[in-house]
Amino acid sequence: MSAALAIDDLHIAAGTLALVRGVSLAVDYGAALTILGDTGSGKTLVAEAAMGTLPAELSARGRVGIAGRDFAAGPGAAQRALWGRAIALLPQEPWLALDPTMRAAKQVAEVHRIVRGAAVAAAGDASARDLSALGLAAAGRKYPFQLSGGMAQRVALAAVHAGGAKILIADEPTKGLDADLRDDVVALLRGEVSRGAAVVTITHDIAVARGLGGTVAVMREGRIVEVGDAGAVLTAPTHDYTRRLLAADPAGWPEPPVRAAGPLVLAGRGLAKRLGGRTLFERLEIELRAGEAVAVTGPSGCGKTTLGNVLLGLLPADAGRIDRPGGHAPVRFQKIYQDPPAAFAPRATLRTSLDDVCRRHGIAWTTVADLMERLRLAPTLLDRRPDQVSGGELQRVALARVLALGPVFLFADEATSRLDPITQQEVLGVVRAAIARDGISVLVVTHDRRLAAKVGSTVISLDENGVAPATQRTAAC
Amino acid sequence: MNGASARDGAAAVRVSTRRAVGMALLAFVFLFGLLGPMLVAADPARQNLSRILAPIGSDFLLGSDHLGRSMLARLAHATRLSAGLALLTVISAAVPGTALGLVAAWRGGWTERVLVALADGVLALPGLLLVLLLAALAPGDLWPLYLGLSLVLWVEYFRVVRATATTLLASPQVEAARLLGFGPLHVVRRHVLPEIAPLIGTLMAFGAGAAVMAIGALSFVGIGLRPPVAEWGIMLTELLPYHAEAPGLLLLPAGMIFVTILGLQLVGGRDPR
Repeated sequence: MSAALAIDDLHIAAGTLALVRGVSLAVDYGAALTILGDTGSGKTLVAEAAMGTLPAELSARGRVGIAGRDFAAGPGAAQRALWGRAIALLPQEPWLALDPTMRAAKQVAEVHRIVRGAAVAAAGDASARDLSALGLAAAGRKYPFQLSGGMAQRVALAAVHAGGAKILIADEPTKGLDADLRDDVVALLRGEVSRGAAVVTITHDIAVARGLGGTVAVMREGRIVEVGDAGAVLTAPTHDYTRRLLAADPAGWPEPPVRAAGPLVLAGRGLAKRLGGRTLFERLEIELRAGEAVAVTGPSGCGKTTLGNVLLGLLPADAGRIDRPGGHAPVRFQKIYQDPPAAFAPRATLRTSLDDVCRRHGIAWTTVADLMERLRLAPTLLDRRPDQVSGGELQRVALARVLALGPVFLFADEATSRLDPITQQEVLGVVRAAIARDGISVLVVTHDRRLAAKVGSTVISLDENGVAPATQRTAAC
Repeated sequence: MNGASARDGAAAVRVSTRRAVGMALLAFVFLFGLLGPMLVAADPARQNLSRILAPIGSDFLLGSDHLGRSMLARLAHATRLSAGLALLTVISAAVPGTALGLVAAWRGGWTERVLVALADGVLALPGLLLVLLLAALAPGDLWPLYLGLSLVLWVEYFRVVRATATTLLASPQVEAARLLGFGPLHVVRRHVLPEIAPLIGTLMAFGAGAAVMAIGALSFVGIGLRPPVAEWGIMLTELLPYHAEAPGLLLLPAGMIFVTILGLQLVGGRDPR
């Protein structure tokens, strides 16, 4: 086999349920292969089969060729001898994969010493060289918790590098990173390709696939539905699913309607908040009007969620005041959460959760039933628990739950960041419809600037220094 | 996904076998304590000095002790007393412990500080010392044992419930429930109790075991209950001098303690991974 990594007719099943069906892929040295797909498409299983790290309860058949050696796909780790030396995995969320009790430089040196067999002093030197090559010379003395997400990603890459593997598998390398850092990671991976590595990237992010170039394989329900050159697949897709996936990319969404905004529902005047000795924002002015969405964006930790919680009255502001003109009941100010299962009682069925709300507020069950229909939720979902439905479904149930209360204000806190692009589009479509139809005022908090620009008629950017706000494209009043 | 659920299924079956054995043992103890004293006609205190240390299986079904009293009758009454007292003790420790833990987690501030200080104060006292103190006030009575043990045991419910509830009350599910207009009672019933119920169950099982042991040990050293009351610990003390002549008799109360504790451990414990 000439390819660096070749997967031939890979099947993976859990009992009788087929999870991966007949996947064949190959990538050469100095080339990039991106596997693009949603949660549950089986893309991570393909990577695990290549590494030989499939969970023991899964059965697999097919062949995996690594650097000219041939393995039967399956649980167990026949490939173990090649780990780190020929094939390596760049873990998801590397700040969790690094040893929290070890300084960065030591973690890289350890690989030089143990995997490569270098002497202690030589390993230390090599580690310092690796880190400075990635622009991390100063970070060597730091512990993982002192590193930013991007820096942790680089340290992990340096550690992977140190083993000398020329085949690199990156599993969701941009998960949990902001848009700016995402481009950074893509540049890092491209650097690996240009140095002659075979880079396999698993992602659900079209922007990552586009940035990496090379070959793109689109996976859905365990099958590769489309494979080809990134430029071709991502501009002129032939498969219907790829088309829907591309259409769900916020970059391609229509601009938000600029509407005559309704009456003021909620306003923050001169708000300031400090948290953990840092000023998140001060002298911040924000107005939310009926039938309008305001988007707040910024890197993680900039205080955008805190701003929403202050506006909802969940947190006190250090200075300034919140106005709620219109005298609406407090229960009409609602919130949608980032992690849908976390917002429901885990042991109660969805019917119980919704019924509780109806009873508490004397709402007829038909209101909920109508909303379920409007949000295209099957009534059979009601008898399941939150962990038995998909994230997208549960987020729509959460929307139905708050819409039943006739809200005037809705705070969507990263409400789609854990959803795949198609589901994200669906959920935000429902939110948009609620804005237009019921004249709800919505505050959308997101780290995704493109998304913010597409949903908010006003966009507020908070940056790390807490200096706010740059307001763009204010709706005509 | 499917593999994981198959694994969970297997674990559930294994747990249920273990639990089933534990439940069966506890059911035996419970029924023996509940029905035994009614079904066994013999008086547990009636002596028959001409028939002492009768062997098991003679006209006394489980033999007779050193004073010729029916072991079956004594064992039945002892089971009712020991197991009943243990049950009463854990319930009266669990209910206030849980309630105060919830109050501390919900209110925070000085309420929480006062309650935590109180719990720490109780923890600082050696538990048995408190029981001894109370027992000294009313020698031979039941209530000092019961009250003393409850006063010692409520602290662990308080601490576990407060810690768990504090985390839960800060979670998005509770924040969402508050925003949806629900009050403390609903939040506790729907969001907190279902999460802490398994923990409380485990604590109660182990707590009941500790209470059985404590009651038995105290009676064994002559504190708390006194002869001729039939109680496992007292029976052990009384029969100990006759271990050479009638070892089987000594094994009866010891066996009851063993079966009860084993049952509680099987029901309350968790399978090793």
